[in-house]
Amino acid sequence: MLWHVRSMGPSILQRMHNGGQKVVRKLISEVNHSWPYASDIPLPPMDNLLINKAGSIGRKTYSSGQVRALGLGSQICLDNRRFSSTAEPASLATPALAALRERLASEGPNLTDFLGQTGSDGYSVSVGSKKDPKPKPEWIKKVIPGGEKYNAIKAQLRQLNLHTVCEEAKCPNIGECWSGGETGTATATIMILGDTCTRGCRFCAVKTSRAPPPPDPDEPLNVSEAIAAWGLDYVVLTSVDRDDLLDQGSNHFAETIKRLKLKKPQMLVEALVPDFRGDQQCVERVATSGLDVFAHNIETVEDLQTFVRDHRANFKQSIDVLKMAKLIAPPGTLTKTSIMLGCGETSLQVIKTMEKVREAGVDVMTFGQYMRPSKRHMPVSEYVTPGAFEEYRKLGLEMGFRYVASGPLVRSSYKAGEYYIKSMIEADRENAKNLAKQIR
Amino acid sequence: MQHIWGKGVLLHSSNLQTLFRIKRQMRKKRWITVTFVDKDGDEKIIKVPIGMSMLEAAHKNDVELEGACEGSLACSTCHVIVMDDDYYEKLPEPIDEENDMLDLAFGLTETSRLGCQVIAKPELDGIRLALPAATRNFAVDGHVPKPH
Repeated sequence: MLWHVRSMGPSILQRMHNGGQKVVRKLISEVNHSWPYASDIPLPPMDNLLINKAGSIGRKTYSSGQVRALGLGSQICLDNRRFSSTAEPASLATPALAALRERLASEGPNLTDFLGQTGSDGYSVSVGSKKDPKPKPEWIKKVIPGGEKYNAIKAQLRQLNLHTVCEEAKCPNIGECWSGGETGTATATIMILGDTCTRGCRFCAVKTSRAPPPPDPDEPLNVSEAIAAWGLDYVVLTSVDRDDLLDQGSNHFAETIKRLKLKKPQMLVEALVPDFRGDQQCVERVATSGLDVFAHNIETVEDLQTFVRDHRANFKQSIDVLKMAKLIAPPGTLTKTSIMLGCGETSLQVIKTMEKVREAGVDVMTFGQYMRPSKRHMPVSEYVTPGAFEEYRKLGLEMGFRYVASGPLVRSSYKAGEYYIKSMIEADRENAKNLAKQIR
Repeated sequence: MQHIWGKGVLLHSSNLQTLFRIKRQMRKKRWITVTFVDKDGDEKIIKVPIGMSMLEAAHKNDVELEGACEGSLACSTCHVIVMDDDYYEKLPEPIDEENDMLDLAFGLTETSRLGCQVIAKPELDGIRLALPAATRNFAVDGHVPKPH
């Protein structure tokens, strides 16, 4: 039988964000005009699918494995030919349709193209180009966000006039984190100092302007209220770059952290900060505000810094910020950094960069796959395999990092809490063991 | 011959003809033709409305031109090369901020400009813009980094 999947256009995705299953079904019935059934008919299970290579009515055809991996279950609708035993009605078999089917049969991707992508033995998988498009590898696909918790968080954020990097930078994990994922505790990474950055890095989807609007003076209060309401043990706070402000936003940032800690002293706070153009005063303000983890991302290997990041950012400046923070922050504060793979770097460059980062005393490092937010941004060089990410993780631990999070969909604040707590506990147990040995 | 007053002008046949001629001329000038030439030499001819930047027009027509900072003069990813000197002369002088960003662009030439700062006007009809020979990200141009 034939599965029709509506190709995802931006307007459809927008609507997805605001709805859930109901909207999806409504959309499917609207869009697929050959679907004669009511929109609340239960969709059949995915498992008993057969693949029909014949073309579709202007929509893509996917195999059952693809359907499962893509998480497109709720968007699949059946071709009504499945239910009719007679020949298809004449109204459906237009000449245009027949021509399209022919073209797809001769030119379109077939099953082996999709199967080829599942091979994850090598270091990476190639991206393909406009003239030779290739499907994305399986491991990089996520479910479209939606659901009760997701909508609740969204409503609350809008009400308090807060922004999240999850939305602004188009994070693929938004559906998982906002709906609670495995742990059931929904989390979001709030972005302060507005939703517009003064820098234009090639990988980032956040809006850019030379003169963004001034920061909201109520923001520190609103942030602490929202986060307190979520009942989290661990929260990550981040911001845009504000090169236009005198203090580069460091006072506002420090104020927000202080308020958070006042409201919930037991909660662990990780701050993903800008480089403040290397200004020691700014770094000090934030590092001494009471946070538990000081994070600043170097984004890519040393050799590609000028190519990937804004011209105001560079490797030495970022490493110096991390070193400064380690010295200035109260003992027990961890430092953390993150890089994206797939920007065009070699693994040798990655390893050299890891060594330099370790020398700077950074405790935690995360590795993620760069994904292109839009056509206006840097193209992806390659999709690094999960196996290669795992190798980097092992290497990082060997080098002496206290924790390494590494995977295609890992982001700086993705699942940061459990790991921090876990590694702290492990370290504490280590210390206790050593103390016990000494006593003996 | 009827005398009709319309918009303060006496509408008789010769006036009407003049009005239509002006309208036709104005209609011609609402779009200009721009050719984008990519690094392989493939050309794409697009119609750009007057007042739109080349970057915006490229995005609307699926031309591969990055614009990381959305036209706020914070990057050099929309770098284009004006292929004909006489068209380059017709463009207004770049402001200091544009020059600063252009200095960082890869493959800079004498007739380079930032695509977000080139605004379509009738004098630029027929302009040819070349996309830079290489992006700053070498791996995209076919070089595959070898794992060590």
